[in-house]
Amino acid sequence: MKFIIDRFDGKKNYQQTYTLEKKDIEALTLLGTLLLIKQKQDITLNFTASCRMAICGACGVRVNGHAYLGCDTKMTELFEEYKDADTFRISPLANYTVLSDLVVDWEPAIENLRKIKPGLVAKDSFSEKEGCVQNQKEYDRIVKQWDCILCGVCASECNKLTADRSDYAEPFVFTQAWRLANDSRTKDPMINTKAAVKNGLWNCVHCHECTNRCPKHISAANDIAGLTVLALKKGLNSGLGPAHAKAFHTDLVEGSGRLNEIYLALRTEGVSTVARTGMAITLMRAGKMNPLEIFGGHTIEGHKDLVKMIEAAKAATKE
Amino acid sequence: MSEQFTRREFLQSACITMGALAVSTGGVEQAFAATSISTPNTSGMPTCDVLIIGSGAAGLRAAVAARKKNPNLTVVVVSKIMPTRSATTMAEGGINGVIDFSDGDSFASHAKDTVKGGDYLVDQDTALKFAEYAGAAIHELDYIGMPFSRDSNGHVAKRFAGGAAKKRCNFAADKTGHILTHTCLDDALKHGVKFLMDHHMLDLSIENGNCEGVVLRNIRTGDIAPVRAKSVVLATGGYTRVFWNRTSTPYIATGDGAAAVLRAGLTFKDPEMLQFHPTGVCHGGSLITEAARGEGGTLHNNLGERFMKNYVPNKMELAPRDIVSRSIENEIREGRGFGHDMEAYVLLDVRHLGREKILRDLPQIRHIGLLFENTDLIEKPIAIRPTAHYSMGGIHVTSLDTMSTTAPGLFAAGEAACVSIHGANRLGGNSLCDATVTGKIAGINAAEYAAKADFGAGKRLNDLTLKWISHFKEITGSSTGNTNDMYALREELGAANWYNMGIFRTESKMLELAEQHAKFQARYDALRIPNANPVFNTAFTEYVELGNLLIASRAALLGATARKESRGSHYREDYTKRDDVNFLKHSMVTMDESGKMHLAWKDVVLGQFKVEERKY
Repeated sequence: MKFIIDRFDGKKNYQQTYTLEKKDIEALTLLGTLLLIKQKQDITLNFTASCRMAICGACGVRVNGHAYLGCDTKMTELFEEYKDADTFRISPLANYTVLSDLVVDWEPAIENLRKIKPGLVAKDSFSEKEGCVQNQKEYDRIVKQWDCILCGVCASECNKLTADRSDYAEPFVFTQAWRLANDSRTKDPMINTKAAVKNGLWNCVHCHECTNRCPKHISAANDIAGLTVLALKKGLNSGLGPAHAKAFHTDLVEGSGRLNEIYLALRTEGVSTVARTGMAITLMRAGKMNPLEIFGGHTIEGHKDLVKMIEAAKAATKE
Repeated sequence: MSEQFTRREFLQSACITMGALAVSTGGVEQAFAATSISTPNTSGMPTCDVLIIGSGAAGLRAAVAARKKNPNLTVVVVSKIMPTRSATTMAEGGINGVIDFSDGDSFASHAKDTVKGGDYLVDQDTALKFAEYAGAAIHELDYIGMPFSRDSNGHVAKRFAGGAAKKRCNFAADKTGHILTHTCLDDALKHGVKFLMDHHMLDLSIENGNCEGVVLRNIRTGDIAPVRAKSVVLATGGYTRVFWNRTSTPYIATGDGAAAVLRAGLTFKDPEMLQFHPTGVCHGGSLITEAARGEGGTLHNNLGERFMKNYVPNKMELAPRDIVSRSIENEIREGRGFGHDMEAYVLLDVRHLGREKILRDLPQIRHIGLLFENTDLIEKPIAIRPTAHYSMGGIHVTSLDTMSTTAPGLFAAGEAACVSIHGANRLGGNSLCDATVTGKIAGINAAEYAAKADFGAGKRLNDLTLKWISHFKEITGSSTGNTNDMYALREELGAANWYNMGIFRTESKMLELAEQHAKFQARYDALRIPNANPVFNTAFTEYVELGNLLIASRAALLGATARKESRGSHYREDYTKRDDVNFLKHSMVTMDESGKMHLAWKDVVLGQFKVEERKY
């Protein structure tokens, strides 16, 4: 079998192919395979690993474009997933700066964590001397998010980060904000919610790719959605993100039940959306947007049921 | 696959469109001031007030304590890798500390169990203070946000841990260490601790008895530079990697601190005290927790026999860790195991518990079986063997009150340090509270010291740096050397240590091992790494780590050979009894400039608890 590894020596990028016998790696994990290459074929190959049992998060890499935790991925699983493939492409995690071969720079991500104000600020009734009180239900609510091992798999999969890293943080950063904001011991959930909004919360594009491959089965996308709901509830409703969300709501409930692209842009951005005329024309030409919709679209089938569902969902999530 | 890529491409283009719409309520703030310790000073060397080496719980707690003690100090945590990739994160069971006195538990009882568990090689005054601090630490961790499992009153939940008279092992499910690590990271970020990731401490400089700083290699660039610090905290973890593949600890725990301390002329205390856990997976030594046997798992040799009946018939698989470890290793040694050499094993069988119970109560263990042994515990027994688990020995620290070494300005904490809490054997649940408690004390004292101290001259530090710069060139510069040389040596060192100073120790084997160590050292000195690229040269990192493991191996061997008794984890087949007359003492190992090691003894501090036979 061939393993094409994306390499970077500090100056130039190149690809290098390593050949291994399938029988030699069948019983191994992906990390085991990388160790085998390094220790038997090429000592210059660089990657990071520490615990080898899926709890430290050091060995995230991509195989054929998708992110995996190396020590938590058996080669047989990869053979199964990429049926009959005799070549695998191994690359560093996406959306990070590559330092060398499969090693990425974690410093910016750690600094992003700092921005959502990590660390619990406990209620005044609790003290350093006596600790806190929390019931099992309150604990259960946040404990899944505490499984996050900062492996970076979600960040590698994040399409928003690929498009633009400058105004967004890694999905796990929002998961960590969520678990603080939803901890019953916190003095104020807005400490972290506000910080999350300030650091690009509304820029999530809801593709849920972060959720798909999380080795701990955490949904950062759901945590992001949860934080936006919390933000709106607490009155953080100005800005393009909330306006965009409200435009969806208006179309679905008060409107036809169908998203009206023209009004969506107008409701989100107001008159300044005129600047997007060029894009609108492109969309119309491609048949993606009907200019007649400016007069309102036709109501979808079963619109009443849709409204009922939305109302029921609202009632269910009321505090 | 092609379908997935299409979808991905579509989503990406959709994102770019979203970006163009600029749906934003404020961009990500500019990264906070760069993590840099390059504050210029008269000598031109970078400086830092408190420099902490290691980012496990001990290092992170030290950093926060130092910042809280004196917010005007620069506190930097140096780590070979991203923080949170540490051994702390791998701990599962829990963290000891008495917070509930209603069932008659007390700090004294925790201390007593600790002293007895350590087979009386514990400094008793230290154990008492430690137990008090451990109780306080639990509340503090709760307060800073650690999500503990809870009891019906909403208080921190606790369970029994081995060797404990009462339930005082507080836990967060079966991942207490992981959750502790991340709590500590959050708290460190909150308190403005700065990190130097991908930096490796190569050496430590002591001049005129004082610590003046460390030599750091920036793994990213390969730059080797001296960093002067007013105080340094070593929180570099343990050295059980001396057994290379027969340990449960992470690849990065290579005793860098202990080796640096020895090179600097300071003392490594009780180096022979290494704890073994009976059940590690055959390939790589990762831990199968005690729960497997606790739930009813059975051990079998190649005759299909439940061999524990020949050792401890009334306890069988639930006998104490050290006894089960010795029994398994004896089966292998006498030819009743499977496989051979370092891949020998016996079988742990949980099939009789049934699919449902295994999936419900032992999911993590099943997962580890699948990952390392390609074995589904539901269908087949799994190959296991004892695995080195914890280093009780470590950098000699004079007192729990300061966590200071004998060199002013140099502190140590956590598994890297030995302030004699664990003696000859550590109790389950005592490692996480050791890291938390000693880390904090070291941080406070490092800050206090730094506030009063001046920077050292840095001459020796400079010389050491120059030495390492030329060393790197010498080791990596030539095109000689094979990829496999270093890894083969590392495996051989692990195997030799395992068979000659592992679970069974005898004089003759250890003398043989001393000769082997000399040969390994010669081979090591002749090693060359065929990679001259300074950028992220992980092979050179591993080379330095292997050198440290060799030094730690030699120190452990010296202690193990001289300690002619059996105590706790240290088991001598030629001296099977504990000898309190001659060896109720700490072994104190030092190394001179020529590399020769010396041994002295230091009395254990007694006085609180009577020294008795350790019986459960």
